[in-house]
Formats: sequence, structure tokens, C-alpha cells
Amino acid sequence: MTGLGRILIVEDDPNDVELTLTALTDYNLANEVVIARDGQQALDYLYCRGEFAARPAGNPAVMLLDLKLPRVGGLEVLQQIKSDERLKMVPVVVLTSSHEEKDMMRSYKLGVNAYVVKPVDFHEFVNAVKELGVFWAVINEPPPGSVPK
Amino acid sequence: MTELAEGPTRIGVRGSLSYWNREFQRIHSPILRYGFSVVSVAVALGIAFILQHYGFRDVEVPVLTVAIAFATWYAGIGPSVLSVVLSLLFFDYFFLEPYYSFDISTRDLPYFFIFLGWAGIVASFSAVRRRIEDNLRQARDHLQVEVEQRRQREDEIRSLNLELGKRALELEASNKELESFAYSVSHDLRAPLRHMVGYSELLQRQASSVLDEKSQRFIRTILDSAKRMGTLIDDLLAFSRIGRAETRKTQVDLRQLVEEVVAEIGQDTKGRDIAWKIGTLPACYGDRSMLRLAVVNLASNAVKFTRMRKAAEIEIGAVDRGENEVELFVRDNGAGFDMQYVDKLFGVFQRLHLPEQFEGTGIGLATVQRIIHRHGGQVRGEGALDQGATFYFSLPKAQHAGERTANAS
Repeated sequence: MTGLGRILIVEDDPNDVELTLTALTDYNLANEVVIARDGQQALDYLYCRGEFAARPAGNPAVMLLDLKLPRVGGLEVLQQIKSDERLKMVPVVVLTSSHEEKDMMRSYKLGVNAYVVKPVDFHEFVNAVKELGVFWAVINEPPPGSVPK
Repeated sequence: MTELAEGPTRIGVRGSLSYWNREFQRIHSPILRYGFSVVSVAVALGIAFILQHYGFRDVEVPVLTVAIAFATWYAGIGPSVLSVVLSLLFFDYFFLEPYYSFDISTRDLPYFFIFLGWAGIVASFSAVRRRIEDNLRQARDHLQVEVEQRRQREDEIRSLNLELGKRALELEASNKELESFAYSVSHDLRAPLRHMVGYSELLQRQASSVLDEKSQRFIRTILDSAKRMGTLIDDLLAFSRIGRAETRKTQVDLRQLVEEVVAEIGQDTKGRDIAWKIGTLPACYGDRSMLRLAVVNLASNAVKFTRMRKAAEIEIGAVDRGENEVELFVRDNGAGFDMQYVDKLFGVFQRLHLPEQFEGTGIGLATVQRIIHRHGGQVRGEGALDQGATFYFSLPKAQHAGERTANAS
């Protein structure tokens, strides 16, 4: 698949990472996936600093963000991104276990692009990840100049 | 701040009051009082003699009445009588002819009586004044006691208020704790479940060719149990959310609400023969989405437990219960229950049937109960084994909503 955008997954749980990657691989969406294990790493990636200082330039096509993360939490990452002129156009999808109204409200107020609750059922989970990957990395047109072709 | 500002004046008033209290108490001693009476008469007599010595005539009557007035004024009734008697005796002895004897000549009799009357009037005026003063003092003491009691009560109220404030803070803290507990349950319990399901499915997919039928069944059981636990967690979370969520109460048209629910359930029961009977339903006052959930739970219960009936009958109606509340009921001709276990009906995760007979987590009726309790109503169930069940719940009527919720909260 050409023109496939890079997907940034921010997820602390290795099992969730593996299951997400499995789902993406099933649909050939896993060739450009970056994993960040906490909020700090995600921000380091986005700002090209620390271990990601030498990464290829350009923003990811989409960022799948868990809310409960060590060090810097998901909502903090979201707030940081949406208040930064250069990063606010990166589409952020919250992918979390939390059904809580409070979390949804906070996320939407901070300007999240989508909020997806991880389904317990594996098929549904795979479907959700696949659809997210297809939509944001393939169907959606990214903001001009943000994602390298 | 106001109390500080008032302080000095209050203390000043109190100080002078207690000073006068002491003044009066000094003369309360009987020896001093009668002594005072005797001394004033004696002094008056001395003054009369001195004045007489210097040639002043007929001054003894005013001087002695002044002495009587003093004794009455400061020493009370008994001493005043004593002073009158003493004055009369001295007057008669020293100033009425014949001098230096207690005899009274007939000529001086009116003079004597005028003095007696004059002394009596002065004494009675003073007595009245004392009585009024006593009354005033009593009233003041009474007021002081009352003020003191009121201050104590105010202190009590203040400390109760403080206590209440503390309680509210504690409650808020424990509420927050509960909330964060529910939050971590929602988040942290779900993740391992998802992994169990995910990896079991992956295992199923990868190893289905090498596993025998028994092993495959084991994997299916793991999957079913994990999914069931997921449902339980979701139900429990929804249940706890109902306890925490704020109710947004408005007037609710129950007829419309019930019809909506029945139409929705009808979508899922197309293959079945269910006769819905909806009676006249009034408007009530409550949180629409919560009440809807309660009706959905009761109606889907009725649908579930009439599954083995060829022709199922479900009736939803209302009974008027006085002017304040209305009781709704959902009646079915399904499996029913033994009234022996009626206490367990509304408990969390309590079930009266085997999972093979009827699926479910056992949270539906507990949710109904919680919703109705939050509306200030009551729930109850009636039934008999294999003869259907009826579930009742009461709600405040729309026009009495205000007072009712005020009582309930």
C-alpha cells in the first residue's frame, strides 16, 4: 500500500501493544508503526528529542493514545499536543479501557479527534483497530505538509 | 469581628450591674438592715436636737421622716416599720408635751396622728419602690439567664455546624475514593480480561488444527468466562454510576416512555408471540433516562422469563396510590418465582434461576431498585412459581414532585 501514513501507538501494556500490532498486521497496516511506552516517550518522539532525535522528520498520520500511562498521562500528552501550534494538527485517537464520562468529556474538551473504548471482545477489538488504522492512515487526508509522503 | 467591637460595652454594663448587685447584697444582711434603721433614727434625733439647740422650732418631724425614708429606701419593710416605731416613740418622748414621758395629751393627738400618717405614706412609697426594684431585678436576672442559655445554644449550634461540615468533607472524600475505585475497576480490570480473550482467540486460531475437541472446548470456556466477567464488570460499573450520577428531574410522560421501550424491545423479539397490554399511565416527575433504564430492565426481564410460553402476556399499568404517588407495575405470565425468596429479588448479583435456564448477571432488579430509591419511591415484587410475576414501583406524581423530592433528599 502506498502513501500509508505512520501510526504512533502510545501504550504501556506490552500485551495490548502485541494485540494491536497483530490486528494491524492482519490488515497490512503495520509497516509504519512506532510504539511509545509512556507519555514522555510519545512527546519525545513528536518533538524529535532524546532517543528519537535522529528520526525521519514529519508528523505521524495518527496517534493512538492510551489514557492511563506511566510518567506523563494520556490527557497531559493530549493537552500538550493540542496547545502546540506545530503539533495540534496531528490527529489523536484516544484508545482506552475507560468508559468514564469524565474522561470522555476531558478528552473532547482538549480537542481529541476520536474516542474509542477498547472492546473486551477480541474480534471487536481487532475490528476497531483495523478500522482506525484504515481510516486514519489510508482514507483520511492528513493536513498538508504535516505528514511526509 | 462584631463581637470584639461589642466587647468593652458589654463588659462595662455587666460590671456596673454586678456592682449594684453587691450594693444590694450588702444591705441584705438583716443585722445591718435593722442596724441601719436604728442608726438613721438616732442620727435624725441628734440633728433635731442640734437644730433645736440653735433655736430652730418644729424641725423634728421632717428630720425624722427623712430618717424613716432612708431606712425604708435602703433597708426594706421590716427596718422601715422599726424606724417608724422608734421615731414615734422618740417624737412622743422628746417633742410632745408632756416632755420626757410617753403620755400624749389630747391636744397633741392630731399632731401625733399626722406624724404617723406622714411616716406611713413615706414608708409605703419606699416599700412600693423597693417592690418595683425587686421585680426589675428579678426580670433582669431572668433575662440574664435567658441570654446565657441562648448563648449556650448558639455555641451548641455552632459546634454542630462544624461537626456537620466535617462530616460533609469526610463524605466527599469517601465519595471521591469510591469514584477512583470505580475508575480503576473500569480501567485496570478490563485490560487483563481483554488479554485473556485476545490471546485465547489467537491460540484458537493458531492451534486449532493440532488441538483435539476437548482442548478446543476448554478454550471456548475460557473465552465465555472472560466475556461473562466483562459483562459483569460493565453491569457493576453501570450500577455504581447510577448511585453517583446526578439526577436531572423533569416531568416525564410515562405512557410515551413505555411505548418507546416496548417498541425497542419489540425489535429483538420478532419471532415470538408477545401480547403487550399497556394501561393508562400518568405523568410523573423524575430523571427520564434513569426511569427509562428501569422500565427497560423490567420489560426485558418480563420478555426473558416468558420465553417458554407459546403466548406470552406482558401488562404494564398504573395504580393510583393516593394524591402523592402513583404505582406502576409490570406483570407477566412467565416463570415467576417462589415468594419465599422475595427478599433476594433486588439484591446485587442475586439470581433465582440457573444460568442454563435464564441468562443474566443478576444486576437488573438491583438497578431498578436503586433508580426508584433515588426518586424517593419503593419497589416490590409478587409472584408464584410458574405462574408469572408482577413488579411494582412507586413514583411521585408530577404535581407533588417538589415537596416529595425535598422530603426524599
